[in-house]
Amino acid sequence: MLKARWYKVINDLFGNKTRTLLIVLSMSVGLFALGIILSARTILSEGLAESFAAINPSSGTMRTAELFDENFLESVRSMEDVQDADARRQISARVQTTLGEWKNITIFVVADYDDIRVNKVSSQSGAWPPPEREILIERAALSVIDAQIGDVLLVRFPNDVERRVRIAGSAYDPAQLPAQLDGTPYGYITFDTLEWFGEPYGFNELHVLATNPKDKFWAQQVVNRVKDKTEKSGYTIPLSMTAEPGQLPMNDVLQGILLLMGLLGVLSLFLSIFLVINTVSALLTQQKRQIGVMKAVGGSTLQILGMYLVMVLAYGALALLIAIPLGVVGARELSSALAVFFNFDIYSTEIQSQTFIIQVAIGLILPVLASLIPFISSLRMSAAEAMSVYNTSKGRFGKNWIDQLISGANLWFMRNLSIRSILLSVRNTFRNKGRLTLTLITLTLGSATFISVFNVRASLSSTVEDMIKWFNCDVMLTLDRTYRADKVQHEAMNVPGVTQTDVWIQMPTRLVRSDDSESGMIYMFAPTIHAESLIVSPTIAEGRWLEPDDDNAAVVPSAFLQDEPELHLGGEMVLKIDGKERTFKIVGTYVGMAFLPLVYTNYEYITQVTNRVGEADALMVKMDRHDPAYVDVTTRALEDHFERMGVRVSMVSTINNERTEAEASFDAIVALLLVMAILLALVGGLGLMGTMSINVLERTREIGVLRAIGASNRSVALVFIREGIVIGLMSWLMGALVAIPMSQGLNQALGQAVMGVPLTYSYSMPGLWLWLVVVICLSVLASFIPARTASRLTVREVLAYE
Amino acid sequence: MRDTPLPTPQANLVDLRQVVKTYRSSAGTFTALKGVDLRVESGAFVSIIGKSGSGKSTLINVITGIDRPTSGEVVIDGTAVQNLNEEQIAIWRGRSVGVIFQFFQLLPTLTCVENILLAMDYGGHYSRSERPQQAMNLLERVGMVDHAHRLPSSLSGGQQQCVAIARALANNPVLLTADEPTGNLDSKSTEMVFHLFETLADSGKTILMVTHDNELAERAQRTIRLVDGRIQDEFVNR
Ligand SMILES: Nc1ncnc2c1ncn2[C@@H]1O[C@H](COP(=O)(O)OP(=O)(O)O)[C@@H](O)[C@H]1O
Ligand SMILES: [Mg+2]
Repeated sequence: MLKARWYKVINDLFGNKTRTLLIVLSMSVGLFALGIILSARTILSEGLAESFAAINPSSGTMRTAELFDENFLESVRSMEDVQDADARRQISARVQTTLGEWKNITIFVVADYDDIRVNKVSSQSGAWPPPEREILIERAALSVIDAQIGDVLLVRFPNDVERRVRIAGSAYDPAQLPAQLDGTPYGYITFDTLEWFGEPYGFNELHVLATNPKDKFWAQQVVNRVKDKTEKSGYTIPLSMTAEPGQLPMNDVLQGILLLMGLLGVLSLFLSIFLVINTVSALLTQQKRQIGVMKAVGGSTLQILGMYLVMVLAYGALALLIAIPLGVVGARELSSALAVFFNFDIYSTEIQSQTFIIQVAIGLILPVLASLIPFISSLRMSAAEAMSVYNTSKGRFGKNWIDQLISGANLWFMRNLSIRSILLSVRNTFRNKGRLTLTLITLTLGSATFISVFNVRASLSSTVEDMIKWFNCDVMLTLDRTYRADKVQHEAMNVPGVTQTDVWIQMPTRLVRSDDSESGMIYMFAPTIHAESLIVSPTIAEGRWLEPDDDNAAVVPSAFLQDEPELHLGGEMVLKIDGKERTFKIVGTYVGMAFLPLVYTNYEYITQVTNRVGEADALMVKMDRHDPAYVDVTTRALEDHFERMGVRVSMVSTINNERTEAEASFDAIVALLLVMAILLALVGGLGLMGTMSINVLERTREIGVLRAIGASNRSVALVFIREGIVIGLMSWLMGALVAIPMSQGLNQALGQAVMGVPLTYSYSMPGLWLWLVVVICLSVLASFIPARTASRLTVREVLAYE
Repeated sequence: MRDTPLPTPQANLVDLRQVVKTYRSSAGTFTALKGVDLRVESGAFVSIIGKSGSGKSTLINVITGIDRPTSGEVVIDGTAVQNLNEEQIAIWRGRSVGVIFQFFQLLPTLTCVENILLAMDYGGHYSRSERPQQAMNLLERVGMVDHAHRLPSSLSGGQQQCVAIARALANNPVLLTADEPTGNLDSKSTEMVFHLFETLADSGKTILMVTHDNELAERAQRTIRLVDGRIQDEFVNR
C-alpha cells in the first residue's frame, strides 16, 4: 500500500510534465522576485549607506558671490557645533564634446585632493590628483560628454579663456546628482590649472558638517549660523542647500524604485500561491474518482492528505531549486545596474542567509497551506460521492447577476447573431471568478504601470514645454555682470539672423518675516513688461501677471503662499535686496516651483530702486529661424561678436538645448520605470498563462465535446485565446483607469525628487493605444500554449477522463 | 441470420472491414476489437448490446473517428475515416456524424439554443441566416423549445439529453451515434429519450445505439451482440 502510494505521487508529479513545469515556473517567478528584491534591497541600502558614510557628507552647502580664502574657511572650522568644513571653487564653464557640440560643464577646484574633509571626492581611475593643465571627469559624466580618459577637451571659462585639457582620469563624487540625470558633467582641476585659465585664486563654495549631523533640525540650525556668519563677513550667498541627513541625492528615487520592486515581488508571490490553489483544486477535481477509489480501498483521509502534501512540497522544492540561484544572480546584476545608474559603489554582494530562509519557508509552507483549502472541501466527500461525480466540468456559471446579464436570455440582440463561439469565450471568462479576479489584479497592475510610465513621459514633456513657453525666444545669454541694456541689445541686433531682443535683471533676495527672521534664498527675476516683451506670463494660478505700469508688484509661486502663512494674494511682503528691505505687493501667483522660488517683479521698478537704470545682466534673443543648427550657428556668431565688444557671456542656453537636455535627463528614469512595467506585465502574463492552463485542464471534457461536434484545431484554440484576450482587454480598460491616480502619484514623486515640482499632468494616448496592442499580443501569447495543448487533445483522451 | 440480403454497396452508410483495435498500456496489450465486419444501410436503426468490456464503446468510437482502428477499414458514407488526420476527422465528424454521449455533455455556459447554434457554426451545414430558425425547429422536434434560452444546468437529465440529441442533428448528419444515451436516466426519461430515437428512425435517420437494456435494444430494427470484441450475433427485430 505504502509503496503504491508513493508511486502515485511520482506519477502525478511527472506524469504531466507540462503541468508540473507550469506550476514550478510560476512558483519560481514569485520566489525569484522575492529573492531578488530582498537581496537587492539589502545590497543597495548597505551600498548606499556605506558610500554615503565614506564621503563624510555635508549638512549644508552654500555658494558665495565673492571669493573667500583659507582664513575664512579656518574661522568656519573653528565655529562651535561645526564638526568640519571644507571649501571649493565652483565654475560653470563650457566644454566642446568630442562630437563638436558645446555643453555646460561644472568644474570644481580643490586645494588639496588628498585632504578633502567633507563631501569627499576620490580617484576612480587614471591620474590622481589631477595633474597640472589636465582634468579629471566624474565617472558618471564621461558618457554625458561622450569622452574617454586620454581624450582632449576644449574648455571655455566664463572669462572667455579657452584651453585644451586632457582627461587624465576619472573621479568618483557621489555627493553630486548623477551627471546623466541633469545633463551637466562635472570636472576636477587644481588651482594651478585654474591660474592657467586666467582665474584668480579663491573659493566660492562652502561645505559644512554639523556636529550630530543625523539631527536634521540641529544640522539646519548650525548651517544657518554659518550662513549668518558668512553674510556678516561681507559675502553674499545666492544659493544654499541643506542635505537630507544620511542620504545621497537620489535616495528618494531609489527608495521609490525599491518600493515598486517590493510590490512586484509580493504580487508575483501572490500569483504563484493562487496558482498552487488553482492547480491543486483542479487536480482534485480531476482525480475525485481516484480519491474515491483510494478511500474505498481503505486509504485514510490522513494518508491521502499526506500524499498530496508531499506532491505540493515537491513542487515547492523544485521551484526553489530554480528560484534561489537565479535570485542571487539577479539581485547582484540588478544592484550593480542600479548602483551605476545612481552613481554609488556597492561594498558587498553577500546575500544574507535570512533571504534564503524566507524563500524556503514561503516556497514550502505557503503552497501547503494554500492547498489545504481545496483538500478540506474535497476530502469531506464520501467515497461514493467522489466516484459518482459525473458532470461536465465544474463551473459555477449561472449563479449571479453578472452571469445572468451575459447569458443569452438577457442579451436579446445577441440571440440572432452567429457569435456563439465568442459568447462561449466571454462566458467562460467569468466562470471562476476568484481566479479571474486574481489574474485581473496582476494584469491590471501591469497595464496601469505601463500606461503610467507613458503618462509620466508625456507629463515630463509638457512640464518642460510649460516652463519653456514662458520664454518666447531662441537663446538666453547670462552675462557676467550688468551692462547697459541698450548697448547690449543694439550689438545683438547687429548680428545677422537676430530679429528681436529683450533683457532682464536677476538677483538674489530674501523674504523678511514680521518677526525679523529671514527666509532662504529667493531668486528675483525682473523681466521687462511691455507689448514686445519676450517673456510671456507663466501659468497664473490666481490674480494676474505683471503690467507695464506696475511698480512694486510681484508675482510669486502659489506654493510659496502655503509655505509662508503670513503672505496672501493682494497683501504685502518685505524682500531684502542688496541689503535693503523693500515692500512688494503680491498681485498674482503662478503654478508650481517650490524648489527654487522665483519671484517676478517689474524690470523698470527694480532697476530704479537698485540704481541700475538701463542696465541688464541677461539677454534674450529671438531669431528669424528656429531650427537647432541655425540657432547654434547664430548663437556662436553672437558670442563672438560680444567677445569682440567686451561683453562677457557666462552662460548660454538655447531653448532647443534646454528642451532636449531636460527631456534626456528623464529618459533614463523613464527607461528604468519602463523595465519595471514590462516586468510587471510579464508577471501578469505568466499569471494569465497559468490561469489559462488550469482552465484547459479543468475543461478537458468540454474540449472533447467541442471536438465531437466538429470544432477544428483552430476553433478549439480560439475558444481559449479569445478568453485570454477578453481578460487582457478587461485589464487594459481597468489599467487605463488605475493609471490616472497612479501616474499622478508618479508625477508627484518624480517631479519632487528631481525638479522639486510635481509634473504637469498629461495622459498619453499613444501609450494607451500602444499598451492595447501589447496587451493583446501578451494575451494571445499567454493563452497560445495552453490553447495549443487543448487543440491537441484527442476526443479519446478526453473521454478517458470519464 | 448473418445472411440478411446484402444491399448494394453504395447503400451501405457504415462499412467496417476487419477492424481490429488493440490498446497498449503499461499493463500490456489488450485487443478490444478482434476483426469486426459491419455494414449498416442508410436509414437503419441498429442497437449494439454486449457485456461491459465487450468493446461496444470502442466500436462506436472507431465509427465516429473518436478512436482509430489498429487495422482494418472504416468507411462512413464513402469516407475512409482511418485515412484522415485528427483535424480532418473533427471537421468531417462535425458535418457527417451526430454524437450523443451518456452524460449529455452540453456546454454549461451556453443556453440550449446556443449549444445547437455552436454546432451549426462549426459544421456550417445551414447558412448563417438560416441557423437560428433551424435551431428552434430542432428544439421543437425534441420538444424542448420552451427551454431554448435556459442554461443546461437548470434542466433535468432527460431534458438535457433531448437537447443533446437536437445538437447532434444540428448539421443534418447522415449518421447518429449514441453510447448508452439512457444509461444515466430514470425510466421515465429513458422512455422519453428512446421514443425520440424511434421518431427519428421513422423519419429516415440512420442510428447506431449502444445499450445494455435488452428490451430497448429489441425496439430497434436490428441488434448486434458483441462478445469479447467480436460480433457474436446479429438479429433483425422486425
Ligand atoms: N484506452 C484504453 N486502454 C486500454 N484498454 C482500454 C482502453 N479503452 C478501453 N479499453 C479496454 O477495452 C475493452 C473494451 O472497452 P469498451 O469498448 O469501453 O467496452 P464497453 O463499452 O463494451 O463496456 C475493455 O476491457 C477496456 O478495459
Ligand atoms: Mg462503454
